[in-house]
Amino acid sequence: MKTRRSVLATVLVALLMAAALSGCSGKGNGGSKAGEGGDAPYRIGAIVSLTGSYAGLGTPEQKAIEMEMKRINDAGGINGRQVEVIFEDDATDPAKAQAAVARLLEQENVIAVIGATGTSQTMALRDDIDRAGVPQVSMAGGSVITAEFDKNVFQTPWPNRIVVPFTLRALKDRGLVDVAVISDTGGYGKDGHDLILKGATVAGVKIVADETFNPGDTDMTAQLTKIKSASPDVVLLWNAGKEAAIVAKNIKQLGMAVPLVGSPGNGRREFIEGAGDAADGFRFAAGKILVPEAYGEGTPAFQVAKKFIADYSFAYGVAPDIFAGHAFDAFLVVTDALRRIEGEATPASLRDAIEATDGLVGVGGTFAYSAEDHNGLTEEELVFYRIEGSTWVLDK
Amino acid sequence: MSSSELLQFLISGLQSGAIYALVGLGFTLVYASTGIINFAQGEFFMLGGVLAVAGVRIGLPLPLAIVAAVVISAGVGVAMERIALRPRRDSGALVLIIITIGVSMVLKSVARHAFGPNEMALPAFTPGPPVLLLGAAIDRQVLWIWGLTLVAVIGLTLLYTRTRLGRAMRATSLSHDAARLMGIDTAGVVMISFGLAAALGALGGAAVAPLTQTAFDAGARAGLKGFAAAILGGLGNPIAAVLGGLVLGVLESLSVAFISSTYKDAISLVLLLAVLFLRPQGLLGKSGREKV
Repeated sequence: MKTRRSVLATVLVALLMAAALSGCSGKGNGGSKAGEGGDAPYRIGAIVSLTGSYAGLGTPEQKAIEMEMKRINDAGGINGRQVEVIFEDDATDPAKAQAAVARLLEQENVIAVIGATGTSQTMALRDDIDRAGVPQVSMAGGSVITAEFDKNVFQTPWPNRIVVPFTLRALKDRGLVDVAVISDTGGYGKDGHDLILKGATVAGVKIVADETFNPGDTDMTAQLTKIKSASPDVVLLWNAGKEAAIVAKNIKQLGMAVPLVGSPGNGRREFIEGAGDAADGFRFAAGKILVPEAYGEGTPAFQVAKKFIADYSFAYGVAPDIFAGHAFDAFLVVTDALRRIEGEATPASLRDAIEATDGLVGVGGTFAYSAEDHNGLTEEELVFYRIEGSTWVLDK
Repeated sequence: MSSSELLQFLISGLQSGAIYALVGLGFTLVYASTGIINFAQGEFFMLGGVLAVAGVRIGLPLPLAIVAAVVISAGVGVAMERIALRPRRDSGALVLIIITIGVSMVLKSVARHAFGPNEMALPAFTPGPPVLLLGAAIDRQVLWIWGLTLVAVIGLTLLYTRTRLGRAMRATSLSHDAARLMGIDTAGVVMISFGLAAALGALGGAAVAPLTQTAFDAGARAGLKGFAAAILGGLGNPIAAVLGGLVLGVLESLSVAFISSTYKDAISLVLLLAVLFLRPQGLLGKSGREKV
């Protein structure tokens, strides 16, 4: 009896430790120390999620940045100086992201920080970024990143506050007015969820059900059964993780003949593979990179996207997804600003140069930052997609 | 709420519950022969899924890929016992439990590097439309999961009560020394339980992968839920682990139905704590001294 009780106590202690330690597999990628001098490389920090639930997003982001860094350095660098990117893995954990940025700022003396992959991780960097006065370019899509304005923080994806109204209007245009919302309780899902509830009336749609699930959940049939009884015209899903495929499959399993609409976070091949034929007919709004013809043949954006897709496919054997695109844009924003600086580049002058970005054509859109707007994208950059035969087509 | 909706909530709960139960069974097996909790159990669930997908990707037929995944995982379980745990077997439960946490991190990191960060899909065992039961829909894969859970629990019960090996396992859990004096190869028994537990976890992981996809990080959550199932039911007894898993799944599903989907994990964990306060030995655990 006594031993059993002590075993149970041991087990509880161990469980707590396991919870505290889980996801402790992050690994920093220390860069080589460069000498300080006129031709020392520009050092840029990048915080991406290479492990944890956003690993599937952060990995293509790292690949895109590495590819572009090599291309620029092979072509002689910027202003005659090489560019060195120091990567840190945040393991999809805000606390680790914060530790990573402290290291980048204090030990690596980076001139700018690209990252993070996720919304919560991006927000976790803010205090350190402000203290150091170093510009940060985030690759996450939460609205809060630029809605809670910070003079040092910029963002390359289309934030939810642009995507959500666009999506709601697309639903209304298609006559889908009774909307059931299902979202995850993580940063991105919650951000989208709140905007959907706020924007519904303006867009002329009605929210008839509102359900959530936790990141990592493996079955949503209970939530969907509740949604089914509300008989909506459409189910609107806001989630950037692997749970989206389960929702699509559960809807099919329950025999619900209701269309499913998602978010830009679902523009990944893994979603189509995971959901199988349940992905057919799935619709979502995202930028134009998935079907580059949407840019319009011959436009500057089409040229940029075509070259990026060709380079990336050549380097890695797969076409880039939208997350690789966000990273390409973030790196482009920083390097473009570096090129425009006259004299010695400091974090402060780089921040000012990034804010002066105007008409920079990336794959996610044409960026025009200002003292009030650190996102710089508009609805013009978005199109509505439909999944058909395991690929993306434009949903006119 | 109509009766078919209520039935759908129950089925949904039994669906998640059976998954928790399959993982919980592995905890129970190792606990029954060693008295420790193997926190790497969830990683075998992950290994079963990702290895089956890897097998299909290199062109193995699905059944063969699943068998191979289960066999390899069992081998990893045996290796874990031999390499990581046996050298420290005299160190006490706490040390051994912490070693299992270390092993779980190693397995997860290796899987991350070997199979990449993305989720992977496994084809359904028997594709087809869901089966309808009184207006509620059941995915065919769920029938597989239920069937496998049933087979596993019957098999384990028979193993414990009817075979020499089962008796040796129970004797080993009571006292390693006494069992060894009675001529039982306790080291072999412990090794076999790790192998069996790993095989069961891997089978669960492969059976669930067509429903949920799998990835290198699928193990932590599965392990936590399976652990809760085993504790809720009462450690050391396969039927209890399955009951604990099913109760946990149904509780979660009913919280969604009647309270809120946002708080379903919190509600089920609070209920788990309440059960442990009232019955620390679990739902089916005997309140007396020893099991057997």
